[in-house]
Amino acid sequence: MRAALIVYRKEVIEILRDRRTLMAIGLAALATPIVLSVISQVATKTATQTYTIGYSGDIPTGLGELLRATGLKLVPVADPAAAAKQQVDLGVAFKLGEIDEYYDPTRQGAQIADTRLQTVLGQYDAAQAAAALQNRGIDPGILTPLRIVAHPLSSPVQAASNAFLSFFLPYILITMILTGGFSAALDSTAGERERKTLESLLLTPAPRSRVLLGKIGAVTTISLVAAVAAIGSMFVALSQISLPGPSESAHISLSPVAVPVMVWVALLIGVSFSSVTLALGTLAKTFRQGQAYVTPLYFITIFPASIILFIPDFNPSLAYYLIPILNAVLVLRDAIVHNTVDWPALGVTTFSLIATGALSWFAALRLFTREALLTRS
Amino acid sequence: MTGAAVSVERLEKTLGKNRVLRGVSFQAQPGEIFGLLGPNGAGKTTTLRIICTLLSPDSGTVEVLGFDTRKAPEDVRRQVGVVTADIGVYPRLSARENIAYFAQLSGVQDGDLKRRVDAVIERLDIGSFADQRAESLSSGQKQKIAIARAIVHDPQVLMFDEPTSNLDVLASREVREFMVESKGRGKCVIFSTHVMHDAERLCDRITILHQGQVVASGATAEVRGDKRELEDAFLELVGAR
Repeated sequence: MRAALIVYRKEVIEILRDRRTLMAIGLAALATPIVLSVISQVATKTATQTYTIGYSGDIPTGLGELLRATGLKLVPVADPAAAAKQQVDLGVAFKLGEIDEYYDPTRQGAQIADTRLQTVLGQYDAAQAAAALQNRGIDPGILTPLRIVAHPLSSPVQAASNAFLSFFLPYILITMILTGGFSAALDSTAGERERKTLESLLLTPAPRSRVLLGKIGAVTTISLVAAVAAIGSMFVALSQISLPGPSESAHISLSPVAVPVMVWVALLIGVSFSSVTLALGTLAKTFRQGQAYVTPLYFITIFPASIILFIPDFNPSLAYYLIPILNAVLVLRDAIVHNTVDWPALGVTTFSLIATGALSWFAALRLFTREALLTRS
Repeated sequence: MTGAAVSVERLEKTLGKNRVLRGVSFQAQPGEIFGLLGPNGAGKTTTLRIICTLLSPDSGTVEVLGFDTRKAPEDVRRQVGVVTADIGVYPRLSARENIAYFAQLSGVQDGDLKRRVDAVIERLDIGSFADQRAESLSSGQKQKIAIARAIVHDPQVLMFDEPTSNLDVLASREVREFMVESKGRGKCVIFSTHVMHDAERLCDRITILHQGQVVASGATAEVRGDKRELEDAFLELVGAR
């Protein structure tokens, strides 16, 4: 193991002196807060923005105040239908006992204004109906024969926080582990060949399996450092962002169950995909050729995982947990959203990622010990 | 021959569809510079790569100080230092770090590491740039690092494969002087080159390879025979004249 440690230490020193890798890690740490900040600002702006309703006819008593209180500004127009096409977000014609609404569903502003209008009108209708019944001496309660009393088992703010984290955290973690180690893996394989240091390295008495082990350890370390940098900066950014809520607890935080699951999954992905990228890098003669081999790997693995993120209620069978990366996303999502560990799923995921790493390790070792490694260059 | 540092017997090797070596045999002794000569593609580099265990022979045997390259490759690599024309060094490590890395991988223990590294730095006059990153060094300085890393574990057999082909006159002379000095220390020096002038000046004995076969072998003066220069004998042997 001494040789593996020697190689590990040298690789880490070299990687930390490589501007490409440092820039990748630095950009990852910076990019996450910037993206989250932009998302937060857009969301805040959308929630507080005032939308314009162009109207004709007489506004029913009291409705104008309700609409203005909901961020809907009323502007008189001659033709609400024509105005809704360009001038205003929504066109409304108030008639006796009826409201004609005109809006373009392809415009996001029109959709938001429509939702707000429907909500306000629902409240206005209910209030009017209750007042009419009360005037006739009838209990307005007959309008809601089955009254729903909600008892949420967790804080709605926490639920929103979990939904947010279950979407972003697995994606950032996996992306950073995969991409954070790419440059380091290629530099220590294809780069070694390109710099013509490979032959000298293989001339030492150190067993090639130990040399490879040291390289995998170094690439895994850098991948995890990149992931920690990205996630750390994400949480720093999230601490500055508040979800709509009554108290300080509205800040987003990770559940205690999700933290060890995240660490375990990150380690597994780091080790197994370091082996994969080293094997691909060993096939390449140059760093650039290595990039051509490795880049599709990222898309192949992250694409199915990304799709799953958009299906929040996707309940997969255990077989899905055999698919590397997808399984990591699912396990992380379960831990974050449900605050529990699905042990069979975690077991299958662990098996799958270890098997992926072991197969890649043998492939990399086989490539690393074949004569073509030298004769092809 | 008993006591040979390197013994090569009936070596055969095919790479792809190319039969590179066809029954190559020779022996190199401690305390001599042994020249392995031949035109490009003669099989010199393949022979050296088999001796230092980077490639396996299809048939034939190679022994280095009694260790069979197939049975004990790691023992062979402990006894061998190789310097090639490709002076690849790790650009983001200093000269000292480059040398120390190879020393450690070659089995030099931590307690002895500093002394060994300092010794080769002094021997090869590397001190003035020992702590500079290799990426900022000249070709000659990098070649010195390449030599230093090849000898830092004090191997008994040194192999030089076209070591001066990328160097200027001054750096080339330093490499040649180092080979002579190593011979004086009792090392077996195998010098692969197609520069006949260098071979004639430096080598005690030579073997000339052509198309994977030995076409001449013996003391340098014997192989030159009645020709004015070794180059004339070489050209006649490889059928170019």
